[in-house]
Amino acid sequence: MIRLFLIAARNLKRSWFRTTFTVAGSAVALVAFIMLRTVLWAWSAAAEYAAQDRIGTRHKVTFIMPLPLRYADDVRAVPGVKQATYMNWFGAKIPTQPDEFFASMAVESKTFFDVYDEMVVSPEDKARWLADKKGAIVGHVLAKKMGWKVGDKVVLEGTIYPGDWEFIIDGVYKASRRSIDDSEFLFHWDYLNDTLTGEEKDTIGWVTSRVTDSSRSADISKEIDRVFDERDTQTVTMSERAMNVSFMAGFSALLTALDVVSIVILGIMLLVLGNTIAMGVRERTKEYAVLRAIGFEPWHVRFFVVAEAATLGIVSGVVGVGVAYPFVNNVLGRAIEENMGAMFPYFRVEPSIAVLAIGIAIALAALASLIPSIQAGRVSVTDALRRVG
Amino acid sequence: MSTEPTNERESKSNRASPSAAADDEPAQYRKSASPEKGKAIIEMAGVTKTFFRGKEPLTVLDGLSLSIEEGAFEALMGPSGSGKSTLLNLIAGLDRPTSGKATIAGNDIGAMSDGELAKFRARHIGFIFQSYNLMPVLTARENVELPLLLTKLSSAERRKRAETALRVTGLDDRMDHYPRQLSGGQEQRVAIARAIVHDPTILVCDEPTGDLDRKSADDILELLTKLNVDFKKTILMVTHDPAAAERATITRHLNKGKLE
Ligand SMILES: Nc1ncnc2c1ncn2[C@@H]1O[C@H](COP(=O)(O)OP(=O)(O)O)[C@@H](O)[C@H]1O
Ligand SMILES: [Mg+2]
Repeated sequence: MIRLFLIAARNLKRSWFRTTFTVAGSAVALVAFIMLRTVLWAWSAAAEYAAQDRIGTRHKVTFIMPLPLRYADDVRAVPGVKQATYMNWFGAKIPTQPDEFFASMAVESKTFFDVYDEMVVSPEDKARWLADKKGAIVGHVLAKKMGWKVGDKVVLEGTIYPGDWEFIIDGVYKASRRSIDDSEFLFHWDYLNDTLTGEEKDTIGWVTSRVTDSSRSADISKEIDRVFDERDTQTVTMSERAMNVSFMAGFSALLTALDVVSIVILGIMLLVLGNTIAMGVRERTKEYAVLRAIGFEPWHVRFFVVAEAATLGIVSGVVGVGVAYPFVNNVLGRAIEENMGAMFPYFRVEPSIAVLAIGIAIALAALASLIPSIQAGRVSVTDALRRVG
Repeated sequence: MSTEPTNERESKSNRASPSAAADDEPAQYRKSASPEKGKAIIEMAGVTKTFFRGKEPLTVLDGLSLSIEEGAFEALMGPSGSGKSTLLNLIAGLDRPTSGKATIAGNDIGAMSDGELAKFRARHIGFIFQSYNLMPVLTARENVELPLLLTKLSSAERRKRAETALRVTGLDDRMDHYPRQLSGGQEQRVAIARAIVHDPTILVCDEPTGDLDRKSADDILELLTKLNVDFKKTILMVTHDPAAAERATITRHLNKGKLE
């Protein structure tokens, strides 16, 4: 049996050109498939890994509209809220590299790292930052990319709050969880607020709270919104996970499209493999007849065809994963995490996706060989061996 | 398979073999000193084979009767399209007669299922084709081993038997060559080794020298004679070559579906 499998596998050496192209074609399809699955996975991972005991409160109409500063204390007063912090989206650019995108936020420094405790920052860095009005804490990925070190002076250009803003890098944070973007730029809310006048002063983007009991986060969210029901500005509160899910729901058409595309890719791969296998079977008809004449039975011949196809699948799968894995993890993933960290804080090929891809390659090859193998098993020995003369 | 007449092939000959294999007498080629003279191993009575081309019937063998003794070396001649290959296929258990009875090595070909026929071929028949039909991806030795994959032999035993068969056919030094590295005559020797490796009862050859030059053809005929004389194989050979037919003890002529 094993012997028969190995012999069948050797048939692939017969037409190197065809085998190489088939493997290359299937591998490319597989790489595309793996990248699509990784996009889908990374996207849902953000929701999956989101903290369940963290809830966000924002303006009922849209999160672009601010809330009054005092809302933060009102939220803290709601039973079940352990700690709350607030922040404003700052939207900064590096004047010399305006295309570099990263999240920049003015945060309430006293409480921020209590609410976001998976953003790990050393006590020395934190202490330095708290004592420094112009201080900033940045994600380690962003710091590395920009070459920022503790003590560096950085000037950013505000997009929402115009002007040049001067900061001192006081420390870096590193996420202990995959759902957190490692490229954020965080500085004191007071530093921003002190420069503001009029309507903008003493307003906050949103409030984020930790609750004592994550199973009650929905109830507590409702409780918070009720507090502001009668005020001028109403709020919407939901858990971070619910927020991610609802955010993703907005992209559901896109996600479905990606799903469909990945199935189409597999369909193309099936055709590529099927064509090669069918061609091989047609060429080897006489050999199958000889095997039958020797005493091999139709199921041996079918096995022979499926074994050859399965080998093609294994090779394609290994090559595909062998290309996709290092490419995504070392090149593409790194680039995406650096440049689109807000959307894909963690973009790597999951081992389960790699295993799935190899499995799919083998299964598709076996599937593609189904009809050819049945045909090969049915070959009439006498017809195939007949020669004119 | 119970119908198998192996008992008379047990005894050993002490006749010197001209082959290199004579020194280490291969266990799988037990030579019988005296095959029972007159015992028919191939017995056909009123065999008819009709093919259909669409609705048009074509009777290729027409009430043919034939008896071949064990240990015989017979040649079958006849014009193209006279049904030689068809007859050979029936004897080899590749096809069943439309009517009549074909008893080969005690098996009624017409009465066997496809699976039984496959086992019958694996046990009793060695097939030699005009166009060798070797597997190009396998070495000579691996090609010869193929029929043994259907047995329960260990891989070491398979290898040993394949090497012995190749030695018998004079290819000691070509075992690891691929078919494309061999001449036509050598390829046919590999094919013959493949046909004898499982020690079949009958060798069925369909124009075995048809693709070969005179010299190679003579070598192959010499080898077949050796297999017949020294190893007591019953051989039935279709040929167009009168020189080949001369090697045989009996030559039959097939014409328009009947033996002359
Ligand atoms: N499977 C088949 N179906 C239809 N006709 C066949 C088939 N096999 C053989 N024939 C016909 O039977 C005749 C004898 O063929 P064959 O036995 O191959 O002749 P030979 O070997 O003597 O040249 C030819 O006319 C051939 O076309
Ligand atoms: Mg013929």
